[in-house]
Amino acid sequence: MSAEQTVEGARMPAHTKDIKPGIDWRGRALDRAPFLVACLMLALIVAIYGSLQSGVFTLDELNLDTAAAMTLMLAATGQTIVLLRGGIDLSIGGMISLGTVIAATRFTDDPSTTAFWALTILALGFLIGALNGLLISLLKLQPFLVTLATWSILNGVAMIILPTDGGSVPSWWVGFASAQLLGLTSPVWMLLALLLFWWWFRATRVGITIQASGSNEKSAFLSGVSITRVNILTYGLSGLFAAGAALFLITQTGAGSPTIGKDYILPSVAAAVIGGVSLFGGRGHLAGTLIGAFVLTLIGNLVFVLHVSSYWQPVASGIILLLSVLASSVAEKAARNRVQ
Amino acid sequence: MSAFLARNRLIVLAYAGMVVLLLVTAMFSPGFLSVSNMRSTVVLAAFVGIVALGQTFVIIGGGIDLSVPWVLNSAAIVMALLCGGQDLPLAWVMPLLLAGGAFIGLVNGIGVAQFGVPPIIMTLATNVILQGLILVLTGGSPTPSAPALIQFLSVGRIGGFPVIALIWLALTLVATLLLSKAAFGRHLYALGTSATVAEFSGVPTARTTILTYVASGLTAAFAGMLLTGYSGQAYLGMGDAYLFTSIAAVAIGGASILGGSGHYLGTVAGALVLTILTGLLPALNLSSGALLVVYGAVILITVSIGSETFAGLGGRIRGRRA
Repeated sequence: MSAEQTVEGARMPAHTKDIKPGIDWRGRALDRAPFLVACLMLALIVAIYGSLQSGVFTLDELNLDTAAAMTLMLAATGQTIVLLRGGIDLSIGGMISLGTVIAATRFTDDPSTTAFWALTILALGFLIGALNGLLISLLKLQPFLVTLATWSILNGVAMIILPTDGGSVPSWWVGFASAQLLGLTSPVWMLLALLLFWWWFRATRVGITIQASGSNEKSAFLSGVSITRVNILTYGLSGLFAAGAALFLITQTGAGSPTIGKDYILPSVAAAVIGGVSLFGGRGHLAGTLIGAFVLTLIGNLVFVLHVSSYWQPVASGIILLLSVLASSVAEKAARNRVQ
Repeated sequence: MSAFLARNRLIVLAYAGMVVLLLVTAMFSPGFLSVSNMRSTVVLAAFVGIVALGQTFVIIGGGIDLSVPWVLNSAAIVMALLCGGQDLPLAWVMPLLLAGGAFIGLVNGIGVAQFGVPPIIMTLATNVILQGLILVLTGGSPTPSAPALIQFLSVGRIGGFPVIALIWLALTLVATLLLSKAAFGRHLYALGTSATVAEFSGVPTARTTILTYVASGLTAAFAGMLLTGYSGQAYLGMGDAYLFTSIAAVAIGGASILGGSGHYLGTVAGALVLTILTGLLPALNLSSGALLVVYGAVILITVSIGSETFAGLGGRIRGRRA
């Protein structure tokens, strides 16, 4: 192998000698490493879970776990888009709460009214997100700051609409989460739809410009990308997915909650980071995020079958997140050194 | 004098805003300016002010500390559990918990400064881990009542002055000296303005960053213990409100959230403004939800005023970045 390379190198003109021919396999492997680590982590957790509990490797279990993870998956999909852009969206905490309380107070047994409000919630999510993006661009403020402020505002509005947990959701809406097709429940189909969406989205003009601006904002701007437009779309999509997460969440809880959203802020970032999405923008894939969401959800199951206090779940997730972040920060430093 | 005004325009603005707010509030609820009401406002503002002290340091250094709620809550609950309502254990419990708060800050600081973890993620993660640990520890059950000595520190009076106001005053003096006179302050402003330039100028950037988070852990833990004295008991979720208020107080006080500017004297005004606002809302028949909306709006508006877009409009008057 090395002999061949020298021969090839010798045949090349002198001035191109420094440029390595072909694909940078080592760099690619390093880029994929976090994703592979996430897959291994999931396999390990499933193995432990499977050895402690019977019936883990069945369709029923897949249906149940996907339903349990779907709210987080939807929220984390929006967060992944924002992270690829190099930002962060804390306002999803407020948006999810707001979505559940609007649904729990406005949904009726009449399908058309419910459909109207469901669409309104989705539109609201996109508009509020777009407003986040616009403020970040116009005021040249850090994303976390703008979204921290809108998190507080949305949370406040949710508390005004519904001060405590309550309200109700029509039973047919709740039933959606357990509707089956070919033995798979709707959350599993949603999971497949999310992957299909990503496969389509990342190659679209918008998807490419979002990743490019996250990778290097200056170069993207100099290449003719409107940063304001990218921000509006990025945060708009994040708000839209957060609203979708709220609509799915109420199928699980059956009621609205003005405070439930904040439980999804850190996990949405954690799922993405565990799945290998860079916190510094530009690199990552939704498949990783979805694996990360499964990891976080199954930790909850593990805690349950191990018969320890359920309060250990946030501790375990927090520690796994910190380890993933540390690993990715170290890898980021190494990658930067490699480029230089 | 005019140079002082120009340099500290945002801090002066914060105090002016506080006076205006006081007058407006007095119009809506006439009893608001009474001595007893002013006293309780200062006491409530002191809790925000003490938590926001560490937050001010962190934000001037270009970071942010979102672990404040559960550092505060953990200190409160562990203190109540260890003391069991007795004064005597405080002698070792208080230093222990202050050290514990400082340790959490140390972990945050090392993660941010040595490993390059973004501050938001690092501090959110420690916040969640602490929350889980405290829930495991208590199992969600209530804690014994606060020791009498801690109650004296937070609601007692010396010569008519609330003890906590005197503590706050002392802390304000210490913070002002640290920011304006000590090498730490100079390092901190240099770090917040440009970490790279500071690093090349020989500023110990990693140490300074870590120290800001240690300070934040210390003040949050201290505030948690005092707050237990104020409410007579420690309970789960008592720190949640301090996430937004500590950041909003710093922002109102004129510190640039991008780092490099601001002063604790501004944060003091910010803490007072927020507390007066909190007092104003019930007078207007507004709920706690409205309060959250106001916090968010206040953060957004104040940071917009300090942002580059507005700095471009009034850049010459300010000269803050020069």
